[in-house]
Amino acid sequence: MSRRALLVLAPALLAVPALAAPPDAATILRRADRAVLGETATYTLRMTVVRPGKPERVVEMKGWKKGDDQGLVRYTAPAKERGTAYLRSGESTWLFLPSAEKVVRVGAKQNFGGGDFSNADIFRLSLVKDYDPTLAGEESVEGEACYKLELKAKDRSIAYDRVVYWVRSDGTFYPVKADYYTLSGKNLKSLLLSQVKPIGGRARPTLMTMESRVDEGSRTRLEFLTIQDDPKLDDRLFSPTALERGE
Amino acid sequence: MTGAAALLAVLSLGTSAYPQARQLELGVESFAYRSATTPLNRDNVLGLDDYPGLGRLAVGWRETHGSFRAVFRGYVERTWGTQGDETAWVVRQGYAQYWWGEKVGLRLGKQRIAWGSGFAWNPTNRLEPPKNALNTTLEQEGALAARLDWAPAAWASIVLVGATTDATPRDLPLAANDVERRDSLALRARFLVKDTDVAAVASGGKNQRTLVGLDLGRDLGWAAVHAEASLYEGAEMHPPRDDTVFFRVVAGALRTSGENAFALEYFYNGEGYSDRGTSLWLDGLDRSWTAATDPALPPEIQQQALQAYALGAAIPYAGGLGLRRHYLHASWTRGGATSVWTGAVRTVIGLEDGAFALTPGVGWAPRGNVTLNLDAVLLLGPDESEYRLAPVRGALQARVKVLF
Repeated sequence: MSRRALLVLAPALLAVPALAAPPDAATILRRADRAVLGETATYTLRMTVVRPGKPERVVEMKGWKKGDDQGLVRYTAPAKERGTAYLRSGESTWLFLPSAEKVVRVGAKQNFGGGDFSNADIFRLSLVKDYDPTLAGEESVEGEACYKLELKAKDRSIAYDRVVYWVRSDGTFYPVKADYYTLSGKNLKSLLLSQVKPIGGRARPTLMTMESRVDEGSRTRLEFLTIQDDPKLDDRLFSPTALERGE
Repeated sequence: MTGAAALLAVLSLGTSAYPQARQLELGVESFAYRSATTPLNRDNVLGLDDYPGLGRLAVGWRETHGSFRAVFRGYVERTWGTQGDETAWVVRQGYAQYWWGEKVGLRLGKQRIAWGSGFAWNPTNRLEPPKNALNTTLEQEGALAARLDWAPAAWASIVLVGATTDATPRDLPLAANDVERRDSLALRARFLVKDTDVAAVASGGKNQRTLVGLDLGRDLGWAAVHAEASLYEGAEMHPPRDDTVFFRVVAGALRTSGENAFALEYFYNGEGYSDRGTSLWLDGLDRSWTAATDPALPPEIQQQALQAYALGAAIPYAGGLGLRRHYLHASWTRGGATSVWTGAVRTVIGLEDGAFALTPGVGWAPRGNVTLNLDAVLLLGPDESEYRLAPVRGALQARVKVLF
C-alpha cells in the first residue's frame, strides 16, 4: 500500500472503532474517570438542591482535585456559608467550619451540603480505585450508545456496594448515567451527566444531576462553571493545615 | 498605587488558589437570663435582677488578598440587671496572616487557636478561654498570639504558638473575675498516619500548667471517632495541688445520616471534685458566708470572710472545663449548607451529680446572607448538682447576623 493510500485510509480506519472489539471494562472505566476532570484540576461549581414543595437552594464553590483521592472544595456563596470547606485525602474527610475556625473529621458517606451527593461522590471522582468493573453489554441510554458496566465495591467501606454505569461508546468515554445500589440491592439514587459542551478547552459533560430514588422528587444538580485541567497543585493544599488556614 | 496597595499586590503574586475577597458582618446578640439564689449567690450577693441580660452589637471584617488575610471581629456590650451595669468593648479576634505558598504561615494578633478534636472540651488547648460546653456555637474570645505553621509535607505539620491572655468566658451576666495573665508557649505536631490524625501537644508558661497532650481522630465508617487527652502537674482549679499529676481525656464520635448529625462525647476531668471534695467546698462556702454575715464579728473579719466566699464561689468558672470529673455531651443537629431552617438539641450531663443542661436551638436563614439563631439553655438536675449551683437557671440566647 502506497504512502498516499495510507494517508487517505488512515482517517477512515480511525473512525471505525465500533467495528473493533470493545475495550476491556477497566480501560472504559479509567477513560471515563478522566473524561470529566483531568488528573489534576481546579473548577468552580454551582450546586442546586431541589426538594418537593420548597424553593430551590443554591450554593457555589471552588474545587481543587489531584489524582484519584485528593480533593478540596470551598464554598464561595451564599455569604453565610462562605469559607466552609471539605477536604478529602486518602480515606479521610474533614470539614472546616469558619465560624468555629475548627477542622472536624467527618464520614465519607455523609451527604454533601444538604444535597443528594455524598462526600464520596464529590471527592471520589475516580471509580477505578474503589470498584471492580465488568462489561455487561452495550445499550442506548439518554439517546446515546453506551457501554454498560457493572461495578462491584472492592470492600464494604465503599459508599455503594454496586454501581451500574453507562459510558458513551462513541470514543469519547463520557459517562452518561450511574445507578447506585446498597448491599441489600436497593437503588438509592441515580446520576445523569449531560450538557456536553466545551469548557476549559475541551468538550465534556458539565451538568451532573443526582436524583434520589428514596425521596421522590428530591434531586441535586452540580453544574461546572469553569474547569482548568492539569494545573500544578502542591500536595500540601490537600492537608488539614491548608484547610485550617481558610480561603 | 499607594504603598499599602503595592504591598498587597506583591503579597498576592502567585496565589491564584486564594483570590481577593472581602467580607463584612454586622450582628446583634442578646442573651437573657433567669437569675437564682443558690449557694454560689447567697442572698443574691451578686446583685442580679430576676432577668439580667446582655446585648451586643458585633462587627466583623475579613480581607483576603492572595496569601494575605486580615481579620477583625469584636463587639460592644451592654449588661443590664446586674450589680455593675456597664458598657464594654471586646475584640474577639484581630489578626493578620500570611502564608508562603502552602509551606509556612504566620499569624499575628488576637486569634482563636481552636485546636483539638473535642467538640465540647479541648483538654490539649489551654492557651485561650475554653468554649462554652453548654452551647458550643457561641463565639469565644481569642488570645493575643503569634502563631507559626510549618507544613513540611501533606501528612505532617508543626504549629508553634506564643500566647498571652487574661480573658475569661464572657457569656454569663456576671462581672468577669480578675484572673492572672497567662503567658504560654505551645508546640503542636500533627501527622496523618494510615488515615488516622495523630497530634502531639506540649505547652507551658507563666501562670500556666505545663502540659503534654495527644489527639487522635479516625473515620471508622459508621462514625468519625476522636480522643484528646492531656497530662499536667498541678491543678488549674483551687486548691492548686502542685505535686499531683492530672489527666483529662475527651473521647467521642460523630455520625451523620442525610442532614442529621449525631455527636456523643465523654469527658474525664481528673482535677474535678469528687463527692467529698464538693461537700468540703460547699461547707467552706457555707462557713465563709456565715462569718461574712455574722454581726458579732468585727467588720474586717466579715469583709475577709466575704472575700473568701467570693473566691470560693468563683471556682466553677476558674478552671473553665468543669467542676466535677465525669461528663457526657450529646447533640443532634439537622440541616446543611443549603437549609433555610436548622435545628439542634445539645445536652451536657454531669455523670456524678446528675447535673443536666439542655440546649435546644433553632436557626433560620431567610436569605443567603442573613442568619438568625435562637438557643435556650436550661440548667436542670438535683439542687446541689453543678449546674443548679449556678446563679442562673437558664438563658435565651438570640443572635442575628448579616453579611455583606
